[in-house]
Amino acid sequence: MTGDTHYDLEILAELAEGLLDAGTARQVREHLAVCDPCGELLADLAAVREVLAATPTPAMPMGVALRIDKALAAEAGSGRGGVGLAEPPNWDELMRDSPWEQAPARHSPWEPGNDPLAGNDPLPEPVRLGVVSDDGTIVPAGRRAARRRRWAMPAVAAAAAAAVVGTAVISTNLFSGGGTIVAGQQGVTADAPSPTRSDVRAKAYALTDSGHNYSDQELKQPLESFFGPAPIVGGGSSDVAGVDKCVNRVANRTKLKVFAVDQGQYNGQEAVIMTSWKNKSAKTLRIDIVDPFNCKNLRKPTVGSW
Amino acid sequence: MNSPSDTPSSAERPAVTDAELLTAHINGDPHAFSEIVKRHRDRMWAVALRTLGDPDEAADAVQDAFVSAYRKAGTFRGEAAVTTWLHRIVVNACLDRMRRKSVRPVADDELIEAAERDTPMPDQTGEREVSMEVSAALKMLPTDQRAALVLVDMMGYSVEDAAQVLEVPSGTVKSRCARGRAKLAPILSHLRNRSDLSRVSSAKGAELRDG
Repeated sequence: MTGDTHYDLEILAELAEGLLDAGTARQVREHLAVCDPCGELLADLAAVREVLAATPTPAMPMGVALRIDKALAAEAGSGRGGVGLAEPPNWDELMRDSPWEQAPARHSPWEPGNDPLAGNDPLPEPVRLGVVSDDGTIVPAGRRAARRRRWAMPAVAAAAAAAVVGTAVISTNLFSGGGTIVAGQQGVTADAPSPTRSDVRAKAYALTDSGHNYSDQELKQPLESFFGPAPIVGGGSSDVAGVDKCVNRVANRTKLKVFAVDQGQYNGQEAVIMTSWKNKSAKTLRIDIVDPFNCKNLRKPTVGSW
Repeated sequence: MNSPSDTPSSAERPAVTDAELLTAHINGDPHAFSEIVKRHRDRMWAVALRTLGDPDEAADAVQDAFVSAYRKAGTFRGEAAVTTWLHRIVVNACLDRMRRKSVRPVADDELIEAAERDTPMPDQTGEREVSMEVSAALKMLPTDQRAALVLVDMMGYSVEDAAQVLEVPSGTVKSRCARGRAKLAPILSHLRNRSDLSRVSSAKGAELRDG
């Protein structure tokens, strides 16, 4: 073999893997001894193994673990309950005395049954202020409002129908659910209509639903470009009340004003990204990333920019 | 299976083996299977995520796999390790998904194009970018080569263990790995020396073509 002809990557890869017959292997080795370019290719092949080995393998996100937990619990039959793969903190217990936890009960005069926690209520979330879900398998307590998947539109449609039929009864409450949304991207100072909610806090934030999968890298960049293009979420979604309650919790923890909230993903896991001003003139933010189910931080809050 | 992360020292070896847990599950212990899931979910997730390159798809695949393993635990035969059996179910769930989506193998000229596409400067290439690049590159491989490389090069399993998971001879695993690495080399070679700013890949591609 002279310097005129080189071996291709596949032959070199087979050599490295010991797949060539002895004669061919010797020929290739003799060539490699005198051919720098082919030596470089061999080094590239070794680098592939190193790069693959060095690529981090992340742990299973909590959301996925919970999903599997649920699926297996369903598989086990209703009698067994969850298998407890990833138990979230008991937020009901932790936040029991918070004002927004107590508000909904006073706002349920229109509930058909006298048990406001009944799981088969035909009127879904939007008029229920996010207290209850019929989907309680994630949390053992069975009372926490599990967030419906965002594409569970039939429930929303049903809510709209219910609103039309029963306007006289429930309209006030319905609008209180929808009133959590500020109708403008620059709604930082907009006066949010918050008619009948007894929450002490005004809902002065823009809620978007970009579905974007945020990475740590992106969260270091100015966030306006990520939040800006997403449509502002309208009222009536079953998520909105739950998100609002969670925003209130976070604001209560941070003592800062949440001004923009986006529903999306964080490293592939469903997440609510909340931004609060730390210093508005310097455009610095505190970024809280929480899971939509339990309002639990998915990573340490960080400082970002708008 | 014998992987670096898979063989705890005898001191920390769990008192109950996977096989015993599986037997307990078959005999109606409601907690046994969840213990198996807890032990292995991270590795199963990594395999699925790397094989499919998409978190949503990976979540579906792992869920399908665990539910399937839950159901057919009774068909497990003791000659394989439980982990091998679980890996096989996960890998097959991934391969099924890819086949259903009929992922088209990428032609050679597309590979060269990808290699010559602008890449981030290596010194700015963070861990996550590397991860995404590797994911994107793996997606260009035929499914059998991808599955072999994920198990052997990424997860660190021996060729023999990967062969058991994939249910093919060891030689087949080796040759799939070799062909896969040969396809990845031009795409990933710029990551070889992360401090090296020159675009090695394009130069290499040109050299290779011009002989």
